[in-house]
Amino acid sequence: MTAAGVVLGVVLAAAVVVVVALPFLRDPAPADDRLDAPTPAEEQRLALAEERDRALGALKELEFDHRTGKITDEDYRRDVGPLRQRAAAALRRIGEPSDAVPEPRSDREERDVTDAQPVPEPAPPPDEGTPPTPAPVPEPYPPPDEITIPSPTPPQE
Amino acid sequence: MADLGRAALVVTLGLALYALVAGGYAAHTNRRRLADSARNALVCAFGSTLVAALVLLAALARHDFSFQYVAAHTNRTLSTGYALSALWAGQEGSLLLWLLILTGYGALAVFVNRTLLRDLVAWVVPVLGGVASFFAFVLVAVASPFKTQVPPVDGAGLTASLQNPYMVAHPPMLYLGYVGLAVPFAFAAGALLSGRTDERWIVATRRWTLAAWTFLGFGQILGAHWAYVEVGWGGYYAWDPVENAALMPWLAATAFLHSVMIQERKGMLKVWNVVLVALAFELSVFGTFLTRSDVVNSIHSFAKSPIGGWFLAFVVISSLFSLALILLRLPLLKARTKLESALSREATFLYNNLLLVALCLTVLWGVLFPVLTQLVKGETRTIGRPYYDFFLRAFGLPLLLLMGIGPLIAWRRTSVRALLRTLAWPIGVSVVCGAALVLAGAGSSRPGLIAYTFSAFVLATIVVEVVRGTRAVGSVFTLVARNRRRYGGYVVHAAVVLLAIGIAGSSAYGRSTEQRLLPGQTMRFDGYRLTYRGVTRVNTPQALETRAHLDVSGRWNGSIATGTNDYKFPPEPNKKVAIETDWLRGEDLYVIADIRNSGAVYFTVLVKPLVNLIWLAGIVFVLGSLVAMWPDAREQRRLVTRLAPARASA
Repeated sequence: MTAAGVVLGVVLAAAVVVVVALPFLRDPAPADDRLDAPTPAEEQRLALAEERDRALGALKELEFDHRTGKITDEDYRRDVGPLRQRAAAALRRIGEPSDAVPEPRSDREERDVTDAQPVPEPAPPPDEGTPPTPAPVPEPYPPPDEITIPSPTPPQE
Repeated sequence: MADLGRAALVVTLGLALYALVAGGYAAHTNRRRLADSARNALVCAFGSTLVAALVLLAALARHDFSFQYVAAHTNRTLSTGYALSALWAGQEGSLLLWLLILTGYGALAVFVNRTLLRDLVAWVVPVLGGVASFFAFVLVAVASPFKTQVPPVDGAGLTASLQNPYMVAHPPMLYLGYVGLAVPFAFAAGALLSGRTDERWIVATRRWTLAAWTFLGFGQILGAHWAYVEVGWGGYYAWDPVENAALMPWLAATAFLHSVMIQERKGMLKVWNVVLVALAFELSVFGTFLTRSDVVNSIHSFAKSPIGGWFLAFVVISSLFSLALILLRLPLLKARTKLESALSREATFLYNNLLLVALCLTVLWGVLFPVLTQLVKGETRTIGRPYYDFFLRAFGLPLLLLMGIGPLIAWRRTSVRALLRTLAWPIGVSVVCGAALVLAGAGSSRPGLIAYTFSAFVLATIVVEVVRGTRAVGSVFTLVARNRRRYGGYVVHAAVVLLAIGIAGSSAYGRSTEQRLLPGQTMRFDGYRLTYRGVTRVNTPQALETRAHLDVSGRWNGSIATGTNDYKFPPEPNKKVAIETDWLRGEDLYVIADIRNSGAVYFTVLVKPLVNLIWLAGIVFVLGSLVAMWPDAREQRRLVTRLAPARASA
């Protein structure tokens, strides 16, 4: 083995040992060495957030499918009420997210649920009164993690 | 420097084992610093593997024949580019590349997710460490690329068929695909191990899966083009076991990319998705096993060595591990919702999944059949092209049709009336197209006609979808920008349509003839007139290049040369075909020559309609994938918002 090889090998091994030991070197006596795994409450909150995203996503998808002609007005009227109720219930369950990460100003037009306006009342079932006008859909349905809250549209009387 | 390479691999093995053992212990006992240390070990494993790879690359560039690997795969006349590509020309180098990509992917994946998904990453690290340990062990103990010898005057040279630009790119692309599937597998296994089967592992690996799938798909197209221009038999896909080995994980990953959307939207198919991820990963390792062992006869299985047994053991152990893990966590994977209608987007995804997995398993059976007959009956029985072609038509054509129907069906449920209304235009277009094709004489092949008609249907649905979506939001750019996954997916669908048209055109409507000619004689075929002028022989430092020259007139005018290169290092013949492309028709005139000493030449002439659409499909496929996986700042911020509360309060 050449001298350069030996030196490089030693340097490599030393560097590796330092990097691997870094968490212990940086914090030799931590107050808390536990892995910050989610608590049951946090897991519950995550599950609710997923449910909220699914509900809102389904609602938005329904609007987009209606606007692009994939479902008839009749089908839309049948489905929109229950979906709005589901979305409203999901938003209600998750509560006021005071610990959410603040959103940049430039994204205000795409508010997430964490700073959502008051939850809209669910639309009346399709068989009660005039069917609701489809809420304006600003964009096609995104995956659940790209969800934005549609502006609450009061049902027309 | 070989010692440095060896030392670096030993360091990698130690680090990977540390990531496996210490990482597993840390995750199990909930120790933060130890988990961080194991994660750092995985990142360092990439660094030490990179050192080993650089040592080998430097030896290849310097033609350092004291390295057995360098002497076996290069020689002094080889250009630097091809000399460097010899990193993946042999078994040991290929395995080193596997490990380099695996540790690189792994390091990046755990680094990117270290803050938001720390608890999940703690379990991902030991899984990736386990996979890396296996490859590092094989490289250290079984197939080292750093074996040395007394340097010979010159090396054996690079296999002739590998001296092709497509072969420089094809293997790394496949490896980026194969190995990339380890990341979603590790995150899925990490989620199961931690008992947290929410969607975080899917969100974290979405782009990794898409990238691996893109590399694997594009790598196969590159390989097909290499076979077409270099192997010289007139085709591009021979259902060779090693070609199939790349196709199988790609099919499983395709199924996963569709079914995962159902889990994201409906919370369903959790078991199915982890099974698909595990299947795709196991098939990718199985593909490597096929290439590295001598269990199947293939032009690709260049490496016959004892490592096949190690790979088989790894496939078996990791498959059992995955199966046990899924069974153990089955109660956590139960869906809380049900399929609402058989006429819904999610239902078409399910049908698509069943067909993709059926095709995947059919190909797997075709690959394993010779091995099983050898084991059971003591004689090798192979399955030929008719078997694969039959199942490609049986499963592929319905898949093509579903690709058109799926996007036009609403999520949850749709009525027959609405469906017929949305399908009216695409059905009309495909019927008109089919009728025009019959009038044009395309009825000679029923599968070809069906493939063309279905392709017209799918293209029409894509156009209808984009037009309606644009009307709904006002601009096509807004439409695509706000849902890149969906519209990138449609571009990929368009690529699959181009692929289907190319395959149907070149196989169902391809024409060929064979004729013996003496100098001065002429043959006519399919509108071409070919006159054989004579043979030339040129002796270069690399090869004796023998060419038969033909003057062509008729549908194309010019001269072509086709023949053989008799390479000297290593001594082997390699066919050189003549290909003339008519870009307007997308058609190739493909001529193969079998030159005899008597002066006569046996010419095989093939006309391959639309074959160039297959290569175009590769480019469109990559573009569509890029659109689908392009980073979206809004999406990232929303993810942070969804996951941050848990982190912040922890």
